[in-house]
Amino acid sequence: MSLGFSLPRIDARAKVIGAADYPGDLHMDGMLHARILWSRRPHARVLDIDLSAARAVPGVVEIFTGADMPRNEYGLVLFDSPVMVSAMRDGRRISTSRFSLPHDPADRTLAFDGIVRHVGEKLALIVAENEESATRARDLIRVTWEDLPVLDSISSALGTDQQLHPHYEGNVIQRYRVRRGDVDAAFAAADIVIEDDYSAGAQEHAYLQPEAGLSYIDEQGRITIQVAGQWTHEDQEQIAHALQLPLEQVRVIYPAIGGAFGGREDMSVQIVLSLATWRLGRPVKMIWSREESILGHHKRHPFVAHARLGATRDGRIVAAQVTMHTDAGPYNYTSNKVLGNATSTCTGPYDIPNVAIDTAAVVTNNPPSGAFRGFGAPQGLFVAETQVNKLAVALGMDPVEVRRINGWRDGTITAFATPVPAGCSLVKTIDACAAETLALPLSPTSAPELRRGRGWAAGHKNIGFSFGFPERSEATIELHGAAEIERAVVSLAGADCGQGAHTAFLQMAAAALDLPLKKIQLQLSDTATSGSSGSASASRLTYMTAGAIDGAAREALAAWGREERPAHAHFVYRPRRTTKIDPETGAGDPNITYAYVAESADVEVDIETGHVRVLNLICADDVGRAVNPQQIIGQIEGAVVQGYGYALLENFVTTGGVIRTGHLSTYLIPSVLDVPERMHSIIVETPDPSGTYGIRGVAELPLMIVAPAIVAAVYDATGVWINDLPLTPERVARALRKDVTHS
Amino acid sequence: MSRKISVSATINGQENEFLCEPRQSLLEVLRDVLNLTGAKEGCNNGNCGACSVLLDGVLVNSCLVLGVEAQGRSITTVEGLAGDELHPLQRQFLENAALQCGICTPGFLVASKALLEKNPNPTEHEVRYFLAGNLCRCTGYDKIVKAVMAAAEEMRAKA
Repeated sequence: MSLGFSLPRIDARAKVIGAADYPGDLHMDGMLHARILWSRRPHARVLDIDLSAARAVPGVVEIFTGADMPRNEYGLVLFDSPVMVSAMRDGRRISTSRFSLPHDPADRTLAFDGIVRHVGEKLALIVAENEESATRARDLIRVTWEDLPVLDSISSALGTDQQLHPHYEGNVIQRYRVRRGDVDAAFAAADIVIEDDYSAGAQEHAYLQPEAGLSYIDEQGRITIQVAGQWTHEDQEQIAHALQLPLEQVRVIYPAIGGAFGGREDMSVQIVLSLATWRLGRPVKMIWSREESILGHHKRHPFVAHARLGATRDGRIVAAQVTMHTDAGPYNYTSNKVLGNATSTCTGPYDIPNVAIDTAAVVTNNPPSGAFRGFGAPQGLFVAETQVNKLAVALGMDPVEVRRINGWRDGTITAFATPVPAGCSLVKTIDACAAETLALPLSPTSAPELRRGRGWAAGHKNIGFSFGFPERSEATIELHGAAEIERAVVSLAGADCGQGAHTAFLQMAAAALDLPLKKIQLQLSDTATSGSSGSASASRLTYMTAGAIDGAAREALAAWGREERPAHAHFVYRPRRTTKIDPETGAGDPNITYAYVAESADVEVDIETGHVRVLNLICADDVGRAVNPQQIIGQIEGAVVQGYGYALLENFVTTGGVIRTGHLSTYLIPSVLDVPERMHSIIVETPDPSGTYGIRGVAELPLMIVAPAIVAAVYDATGVWINDLPLTPERVARALRKDVTHS
Repeated sequence: MSRKISVSATINGQENEFLCEPRQSLLEVLRDVLNLTGAKEGCNNGNCGACSVLLDGVLVNSCLVLGVEAQGRSITTVEGLAGDELHPLQRQFLENAALQCGICTPGFLVASKALLEKNPNPTEHEVRYFLAGNLCRCTGYDKIVKAVMAAAEEMRAKA
């Protein structure tokens, strides 16, 4: 059996000798080079884009603007964003562009009104024989602007009549409302009520490979782009839509991908490079600088929330109420979906009979927000888990015990008024973390300025796309040989963003076909050779691909048994359907299944400087079935460190919608000297009854609850709760001083 | 386009002569002129270490060195680490799963080589301190540190 052992990653050799090609490493003879002209203004009307001086630069081949887009719109969920903002005077854009919603039959006209709504809007694509000419020309484009009032916060966007986007009345993209039981009565009867405000800023993905791509016409005449993304077939659809071409005219290939974490889910270079190659017939390459990468892709949603939690004296939670607003930036990206996850996590994985949740994604002129590992759950669980930790303090109870009392079990009815999917292993996961943690008591420190403390958190994450999205994943298998199978060709599109997906695919294919690994040949990440695997996101890829491989293997082996040579099978895996939730009550069955995680953090706080050091971080993660334990530990450690960054270090600053932390010198991500001194990862394996081979998922879970565990540990050390992320030394020192003055 | 200058340098043990513009960084020269794309551009600012190479044995960010500064000097990139077999660092990175997306890996390998040449028996703390100029967004660093410690041990055993 090829499952459950730590096969070294299949791409590791190429990566350690420097031979793995990432999009920026690709080269074609005769290729052109492109640069983007960015808006760099958060809210303005473009009156004119004067290209005359730029066009005169030697080496410039063509300059494209929004007026060149056959259909100047894109969006993963809603076509609500322009590919490039064109000048207002360009009548064609205003009169003909139609707003089409794939999930909304109402076809409304979006006035492409020449308005830039955030600093990272694209205005022009300059294509030249070399990068220097493209850059020179870019700097000679003269834009005439009329600045517009900037709404740079959730409160300013909600407190105005000014509507930022023609489709979002009241500057709200999406609201969710959940009502279960009678919260007012329950709070009135509760022995203890915890009430507080919470917030967090944005988080930048900071994958080490900035966006890049190479587009060309392939031997079959297709527009082909090699790019780093998370879903080949979605990129293909977005390109085909904007260029108004049939799908089969567009081909998307992923070479090595330099990290993603949700940040490559949206379009970066895909559409504009495809446009250039389609129009010019030549290969075109573009590489963004780090500063352009930070400017040009979305962030994790900033949020503000108000929360109440009521319990009886014996530790039973009886009521939870949460109001949460997320800052979406000016376009949807995936904000409505992220809000769904924030809604489904903000009262935690607890059995609570009375729940009221109101959430909204708010439109502002800040950089757009979208997918980032955890997808709303880090925000939701920061609120939920900090509330529960405060409850434990107020009750004088062990925070682990409070979670054991209230944690979901099989049969628990959730806030959505439907049962938790079968196979709930929350308490088991918490116990695994607790056993490991309690074996290692927190050691005291003698330094007078240092305080040590321990904190806990737990969480749940839906696996796969939710709220009624038609989840599916395809696999194709071809078995070659005569008397026995000599070679199996397995075609899959799923993206290996670094998480090791392709290695897991190989192991799962070998297991499904009962063949040695060396007989499996993978054909990967190319829309021309594979059906859609869906996105490398939502901790879904291993779960969904397992279903697709298993189905295709069964059908291919059946064809082999019927003497077909080669034996061919194409299989579309569809997990159980989910539903939308009721707009008034939240009732529904929005999630396929969940994975569970529990963590403890030991910290040391310097009460003079406010610096928080994480001494020890223990993470227990129920992955269902570990396909490749070594890669899973890698996912846990990497996610924990990203969660550490979110909790303590990563402070994304904008003022008036303008990014102030546009480089890795100002936006700090954890280095090897920052990370927890000891990390311990525990793989829990409770098979998910819905998942093929019992697989759940892993990628997002360890990140989600690092912040509440650290915040609780800081409280344990200092007696001060800090409700706003990140816990920079300045913020911690200020909170500690405030507490001293007040007490 | 400005005048190009002829530069002679030893690159991964081979004598080499190339033309570059005075403004071009060593990283640009390696990637765009010499087609050695192992060194990566992560920030072009000296913050991330993805472009790390050795210049006369000294660890540098090649984005902060001009191509013309390579004149008469010796450069080692990730492509120069392996002989017929993988370098112990490369093999230990592979076996210890010390890489995920791998874009930072060439920089870490070159930096680790610089460390082990100076200090064949580093403590874990010394490894962490030396690698603090290289960022990784995927692994959380633990497996990288373990891989370097394992490679150091292996190299000491062979020496």
